[in-house]
Amino acid sequence: MRHLLLTLILAVPILFNAAAYATTVVTTPQVRAELLAHAPDGVAVGKPLWVGLQLQHQPHWHTYWKNPGDSGLPTTFEWSLPPGVVAGDIDWPAARALPFGPLVNYGYEGTVLLPVALTLPADFDASTVDLRLRADWLVCKESCIPESGEFTLSLPLGPAIGTHRAAFDSSLDARPRSLAGVESEARVVGGTLLTTVRGLPEGLVGRDAQFLPETEGLINHAAPIVQRWHEDAWEARIALSAQRSSSPALLSAVMLFDDRALRVQARVEGWDTPGTVAAPSAGAAVAALPDTAATGSAAHAVTGIGAALLLALFGGALLNLMPCVFPILSLKVLGFARHAGERRQLAIGGLAYGAGVVLSFLALAGALLGLRAAGAQLGWGFQLQEPGFIAALALLFTLIGLNLAGVFELRTVFPGSAAGWQLRHPAADAFLTGILAVAIASPCTAPFMGAALGFALTLPTTQTLLVFATLGTGLALPYLIASLVPSVARSLPRPGPWMARLRTLMAFPMFATVVWLLWVFGIQRGLDGVIGLLAVLVAVAFATWAWAQPGRSRRWLGLPALAVVVAAAAWSLPALRTGADPVSATGGVWAPWTAQAVSASTEAGRPVFVDFTAAWCVTCQLNKLTTLADPAVLADFDRADVTLLRADWTSRDPAISAELNRLGRGGVPVYALYPAADAPPQLLSELLTAGEIRSALATLKHKESP
Amino acid sequence: MTIHPIATLALCTSLILPMPALAVARVGEPAPAFSATDTTGKTHALADYKGKYVVLEWVNPSCPFVVKHYSSGNMQSTQQQATGAGAVWLAVNSTAQSHHEYLEPAALGNWMNKQKASPSATLMDAAGSIGKAYGARTTPHMYIIDPQGTLIYAGAIDSKPSARIDDLAQASNYVKLGLSEAMAGKPLTTASTRAYGCSVKYE
Repeated sequence: MRHLLLTLILAVPILFNAAAYATTVVTTPQVRAELLAHAPDGVAVGKPLWVGLQLQHQPHWHTYWKNPGDSGLPTTFEWSLPPGVVAGDIDWPAARALPFGPLVNYGYEGTVLLPVALTLPADFDASTVDLRLRADWLVCKESCIPESGEFTLSLPLGPAIGTHRAAFDSSLDARPRSLAGVESEARVVGGTLLTTVRGLPEGLVGRDAQFLPETEGLINHAAPIVQRWHEDAWEARIALSAQRSSSPALLSAVMLFDDRALRVQARVEGWDTPGTVAAPSAGAAVAALPDTAATGSAAHAVTGIGAALLLALFGGALLNLMPCVFPILSLKVLGFARHAGERRQLAIGGLAYGAGVVLSFLALAGALLGLRAAGAQLGWGFQLQEPGFIAALALLFTLIGLNLAGVFELRTVFPGSAAGWQLRHPAADAFLTGILAVAIASPCTAPFMGAALGFALTLPTTQTLLVFATLGTGLALPYLIASLVPSVARSLPRPGPWMARLRTLMAFPMFATVVWLLWVFGIQRGLDGVIGLLAVLVAVAFATWAWAQPGRSRRWLGLPALAVVVAAAAWSLPALRTGADPVSATGGVWAPWTAQAVSASTEAGRPVFVDFTAAWCVTCQLNKLTTLADPAVLADFDRADVTLLRADWTSRDPAISAELNRLGRGGVPVYALYPAADAPPQLLSELLTAGEIRSALATLKHKESP
Repeated sequence: MTIHPIATLALCTSLILPMPALAVARVGEPAPAFSATDTTGKTHALADYKGKYVVLEWVNPSCPFVVKHYSSGNMQSTQQQATGAGAVWLAVNSTAQSHHEYLEPAALGNWMNKQKASPSATLMDAAGSIGKAYGARTTPHMYIIDPQGTLIYAGAIDSKPSARIDDLAQASNYVKLGLSEAMAGKPLTTASTRAYGCSVKYE
């Protein structure tokens, strides 16, 4: 303790100094840290520009890699940069395993340089690039000391910086390489990760490797890896941590040979729920490896990014026909006929609308990815698992329905301002319409796009965002075409009194959507919740009608109407907030799903069929009412002695989310047949047919027969 | 890239090291039994607390992460909430006697008193047997055992792995959360996390 205090006392004035005077070096008794720069072709837009923190450790002291292993913390950077300048993540050099007693850490001793690529914006016009870095590192030997430093660096634009070429070259050289043609997959069996890496170069074949996952809390770092070669394929049994805290569907790892480091990415199949992994048998780690490598099982998974993009574009376009979107957009598009002559204005409006749609989808995807990165077990459709969101949607659709039915006009409720604003800023209005379209499309995206978007979530971030952007483009497409192609606008029917009738007619799909939202809300919150929400909707409808009255009536009716809304809200709030007595979605031959129920049944020799469903998922409901209610199908299940389980994802459920992730899906519906305890589940298609179930059951029987 | 002789040596060494006996406790399975003396010399066995929730906290006063949670009062408030709700809180120190961070029972007891800590007892585990049975890797490393003796949580104290006290404000405390969920009869939202902190200083 005294030793630690002394260290801290020594370190503090130095750190304080670092902050007070612009400097590139921070020295503590354990580490000398220096911020270096490297610009071999000059500091200029479009030229490579690297900065990096060089840590020189005192003998036997070490700092940590991105996955620090059993203890420790990775070094982190916080940059303050000129506007537009972007710093990448730390481009980690391959780390080493550092054993400490029975524990193993991953990190660096001696000297290491942690490089970061900087990108200058195309319009960068300052004479220097001024950087400020706050770095935090944990340095350990027998004891651990958290340290930090603030660094500043000013790089004049123009001249090349090559002073630290050797340090950067060796650091960048020490990064794990991704080799073309190297493919990897992994399967979880018991407490072991059976990993296969194929297509390795000849020079490496036959040599021993270490396997350092980038994911924390996944493997037992200290357990030896049982490995062997099969031609150019490396096959290994890697022990999972008994207290595993993550189950990545896609595992990034570094394969470490004594002089080379490769980066591999493996799709992982066969995850159990975290923390409930079956105990490996005592000899599991040394048991022989299987002769055939693990094979994929997600037969119906969407497999290419190209296919996913095409699906997203088509699905997005299809969304325009959904009852939640069609009424609003059809009226907007019909309005184009009135402006068919004003091409420029129409085109600007169309593009603004498209931008609104695509950006909203990207924002939604970003939020979901962020929440998932922060550890929340969420999948696509997560918005609809929030009863508050469902209630807000029901309110929004009621208001839109009332507006279409002619109960109120926006300009009477917000006199002058809104309508005038709409006319003055047509592009902004179109942009907001785009955002509204995404909001009102959301009850339809989850039900109809679940599988495609679930797959999208398992892709690398940029590809995920690309899929969501494509979906948005698809949704915006009809509107865009109508606004950009003059002949389309011209061929639309002329406006007339029939449009007012059509508008009223379109109110009914809106109210139908409200009915459906109330049903979902009922499953989440019970009958009292639905009644409470209905009371609020009626009160709000009354209030909008009252405020839409002309002149004095509005004064007499408006305030009491608001009081009615407040009273209704106050009366129904308790019922809206408590989840009392939710309606159960399981029953009959279907038992509620738990991971334990699946393993108990398969271990007893009975296969399991799981229906992953949610009330807000239309495809799920369709399958449930048709194929899964078919007496012939149920009889087939019975003959094959299959246990039927239903996993209801209407409300948030981390266990179900984890299982969906494990199956490589981020949404429902998912239909999975678990043939046996140690065999991978078979996934059936989202639009389930009796024939498909029968052929899946036939493979079961086939396996049983000798 | 050149062959780094020290790296090569370290890799080879790590491969031929005997496989350590660590991490046998699993969430969802019976918690390993143990018996140990506390800083006052009294003996405690896990079996004595059957029927109660038991929280295990790995502690080492020389570790800055432990200091973070004690100097901020975070660990003490977690202890008070747990013991106030009827749980038994056992702090465990598995630092080996040969390590310079080892504290004699009386010194450890004094340190805990000075922190105004309120564990039910602070156990001495210099041989590291409890630590290894539970797979304790860091200080702090937290475990929750339910009244039936099943391990229901293993991992970090909270969701923000850092040594900065500022981070406590945004962190969610997995022990408080897990205990209140378990006591309400609900399954734990988060049952397994990666513990963060200093290495446990085993023999």
